[in-house]
Parts: sequence; structure tokens; C-alpha cells
Amino acid sequence: MTNLDIAYHVKRLPGWVVLALWMLVVALPLYILVVSCFKSTAEIYGDKFGLPTSWTLDNFVNAWTKAQFARYMVNSFAVTGGAVVLTLVVSAMAAFPLSRYQLGWSSPVLAFFLAGVMLPIRLASVELFTLMKSLDLLDSRLGLVFVYSAIRIPFAVFILANFMRVLPRELEEAARLDGAGEGRILVSIILPTIRPAIAIVAIFTAIAVWNDFFFPLIFIFDDDYKTVPLAITTFIGQFRTDWGMVFASLAISMMPVLVMYLLLARQIREGVGATGGLK
Amino acid sequence: MLFVLPALAIYCLFVVYPLATSLWGSFFEWKGLRMRGFVGLDNFARLFVDPSWPKLSGAFAHNVFWFAGIMVLQNGLGLVFAYLLFLRGRGTAFLQSAFFFPAVLSPVIVGALWRLLLTPDGVVEALLHKLGLLDGRLTILGDSTWALWVLIAVDAWNWMGLPVLIFTAGLRQIQPEVFEAARLDGAGAGRVLWSIALPQLIPSISSLTTLTFINTFNQFDLVYVMQGVQGNPNFSTDTLVTYFYRLAFGAEGAVGITDIGLALALGTLLFLLLTIVTIALLRFFERRTVRLT
Repeated sequence: MTNLDIAYHVKRLPGWVVLALWMLVVALPLYILVVSCFKSTAEIYGDKFGLPTSWTLDNFVNAWTKAQFARYMVNSFAVTGGAVVLTLVVSAMAAFPLSRYQLGWSSPVLAFFLAGVMLPIRLASVELFTLMKSLDLLDSRLGLVFVYSAIRIPFAVFILANFMRVLPRELEEAARLDGAGEGRILVSIILPTIRPAIAIVAIFTAIAVWNDFFFPLIFIFDDDYKTVPLAITTFIGQFRTDWGMVFASLAISMMPVLVMYLLLARQIREGVGATGGLK
Repeated sequence: MLFVLPALAIYCLFVVYPLATSLWGSFFEWKGLRMRGFVGLDNFARLFVDPSWPKLSGAFAHNVFWFAGIMVLQNGLGLVFAYLLFLRGRGTAFLQSAFFFPAVLSPVIVGALWRLLLTPDGVVEALLHKLGLLDGRLTILGDSTWALWVLIAVDAWNWMGLPVLIFTAGLRQIQPEVFEAARLDGAGAGRVLWSIALPQLIPSISSLTTLTFINTFNQFDLVYVMQGVQGNPNFSTDTLVTYFYRLAFGAEGAVGITDIGLALALGTLLFLLLTIVTIALLRFFERRTVRLT
């Protein structure tokens, strides 16, 4: 290494230190979370930073059985899965004619959908509550599926229509000459070619729905239908002395997102870049 | 047309219709969940006098502080991190992913985690003791001067990855020759960022500012999880949406009576504020976007 090289690296060092410090700020709380899951509550109070002296799975067992975390997970999975599927199906159906046909009404309808991307829907929660009550959708997972789909449809239509618009016209014309119906063309020709868009929509819908807490808070009263985030908020009051279990339930509830993130970090990074961070 | 109907129906029924009736309903008197007579702007007038006014002005101020705090702490720091990553190139993808990870977590999990870390006798207290920065109990979440800023910092921790991703994407779109030329003219890294990169990052700044505005003025989850729906201590972390929630779902006041008329009026004002400021922000940045021809 020449002197110049060394000078170059020394000059870059402060920047690396800054980045490493933030890395530490991100990692440390998560590290504490992970190690605390495997400690007894007494040890969490005693030795806060070290690894557990004896690793125990009691906290997970307690969270899973005593606090009945399993059913909250089932509810969250059902609601998230339902919302993702419903959002994708109806949004793909809507985006197809809106982006592929030259119709007079397609741009106003698209604009109408697009307006919904930024609508502060929480402010409508009183009327939404009344509506859900009259439709008998309170205390119901199906009710949450409808609300979440409705909220996510604008974003989904917007993204899918953008991807569909740029596909070459010849793609569907051959199929149309062969007598394929519109539904057939959408499913077997259009959708397979815009898989990245479908992935973006599915990922962002899943994250948003899995993490949401506001609507279960308003619509779900029965313990049987609570989703994970709502359960966590009750937990933290109810089991405030049993820290091990609270930490374990936090860890369990972030597991699905963590797995998805490890598998799809690149798509998520690019998706955020491509959509300008629309949530 | 048939294909558009299901999406349109769900969207209209569960988003557009409730929003429209909420706006309309703010001009009526309410008894519980029942709509009574038309009262014009009465509900709005009631928002701006006691007992509502102290809550409303307090919550509004907290939202403004929250916005300013996030702009500086999250987006400002995020820009620095993005620029450092951009200059180095190496390890960008890994650090981007690591920084973004908290953003895929629910604010509920983030809030609950930080609440545990920040309790008296918690991890942060122990760390501060070790570093010799504090002796005695850490009661920052119970302190009405500091609690709000702690929540803002936690929110910034949660979403830091977003400005990092958006700014690195923005920096990559700038022509490399521009940086090259500036460097040949002897400009330091800080100066290049300030006077060369920043003007060209206006589209990124625009979308981040707008998003930050919308998100901070919708802030609810973190406050609820960390400080309760009353915005403890003594309403010092109260936000417009927590106030709205209390009015609408009966956690306001000692007896917990709902005041739907007041809630809907607040909702309508907040809706107008969000819409007008969002459009104004987008216009403002649109006019300032540098176009290289």
C-alpha cells in the first residue's frame, strides 16, 4: 500500500464509523430481544446484555400455550392471506381493462382509484364502524379482509396497471385470434409476464396487513378473533411482569416477516425504490 | 367494464362511502351513534373552545414537532447514511437491508420493544449507567418534556431505512460526470452533497417530505403502545389521531363518553389539512425540480 492509498482509506474511516454506529443502534435492541427470549425473567432483570446462562424455551412455550398465542397467529395468517388474495384478484381484474383497452372512462376511473392511495381512511372509522355493524362484520376476520382489501386496492391497481400498460399489444392479439376469452388472456398471458409487479403488490399488502393494529382495535372485541398486533398490546399490560414471555411473543410475531425479509430483501428494496416508498 | 366492478365495489363500499358520510356527518348533531339534526358548523366551533381547544392545540403542536423531528432526525440522518453508502459502494445492499429491517416490523412490535428497553431498570438505563451518563432511574417516558421526543426517536429508528433507500436510489440517478466535475474543481464531499447532489435529489426529497407529513399526521400506533391512548404523561404525547380516537370510541374524559360530532369535525379538518398540505407540498417541489436538458 502506498501512502496515498493509506490516506484514502483513513479519509473514509469516519464514514464507516458512522454507518457502523447506526448498524449497532439497529442491531442492539434486536439482539436484546433475541437473547431475552431464552432467559428466565429473573435473569432478564439481572444480566441484561449477556447470553443466557441456561437457554430455556419456557418463554415460547408459555406464550404459545398459556397466552394462547397460537390462535392470534392463525387469525393474523387468515386475515393477511385473505386480504392478499382478494386484493390481487380484484385489482388484476380491474387493472387489465383500465390499462389495455382504449376506453374513454379508463383514465378517470384510474384517477379515482389513485386518489385512494393517500386517503386517510382512519378518519372514516366511525362511519366504517357503523357500516360494519349493519353488515354484521364486526368481530369477524372476513370483515377485516374486506376493509384491508379496500384500503390496498388503490395501490395494487396503480402498480399492476403501470406494469400492464407497457406490455406489447401483439402479446394478446394472437390469443384473441385463437378465440381466447378476456379472462383467459388475463390469467394465462398477462399475469405470468408481470410476475414482479404481482410480487411487489403481494409483499407490500402482506406486510401492511400483518402489521396493522388500528382496525382490529376498532372492530375486534372477542379474544377469539384478535390478530397478533392487537394481542401484543393487551399482553404488554396483562403480563407486564413476565418479561420473558412478552419478549418471546414479540419474537414469534416478527418471525413471519423476518423469514419473508430474508428471502425477499432484494425485491423489497427494489420495490420501495420503484414505488417511491408508497406504503 | 365487468372486470372493474369487484374492485370498484369493495373500494367504494369500504373506503369512499364511509369517508364521504364522515365528512357529511360532521355538520350534524349526534347522540351516541345516531345522527340528529343539521347544525352547520357547530361541531367545528366546539372544537376551538374549552374543553376541546387545549387538547386540539396540544395534539396539533405535537404533530408539528413530530414532523419536524422526523424530517431532521430520520430524513436528514438518512440522507447522510445514503450519501456515505453511495460514496463507498461496498456493502451497500447489506447495510441498506439491515437499516430497512425495522421498517417491515409492526409499529406495535417496535413500540412494545422500546417500551421494555426504556422502562426504569431496563436495558437503556443499564447502558447509560455503564457509560456513566446517568445515575438513578431512567424515567424519560414518564417525563412530559421528553416523552414526545423519545417517541419521535423511536419512530425514526423504525423508518430510517426508508430515506436511506430512497436517497441512494436518487443519488444513483444523478449523472456520474456531475460528481466527477465537482471533484476536479476541488469540492469536498460535504460541499458536493450540499450544492451538487441536494438540488438534484428534489424528487426524492419531495416524496419523503410528503410521506413524512402524511405518516406523522396519522401517528397513532406508537403513542397507543408506548404511552396509552391518553398520550401520557398528562397528554404530552397526544396526537390528532389519538384525540380523534378518544372522541370517536369513548376514551375521552373521565366517564369515557363518545362525542361523534366533535370526532367527525376533527376528522374533516384533518382530512382537509392532509389533502391541502399534500397537494401544496407536491406543487412546491414540482416547481423546484431541477431538470437537466
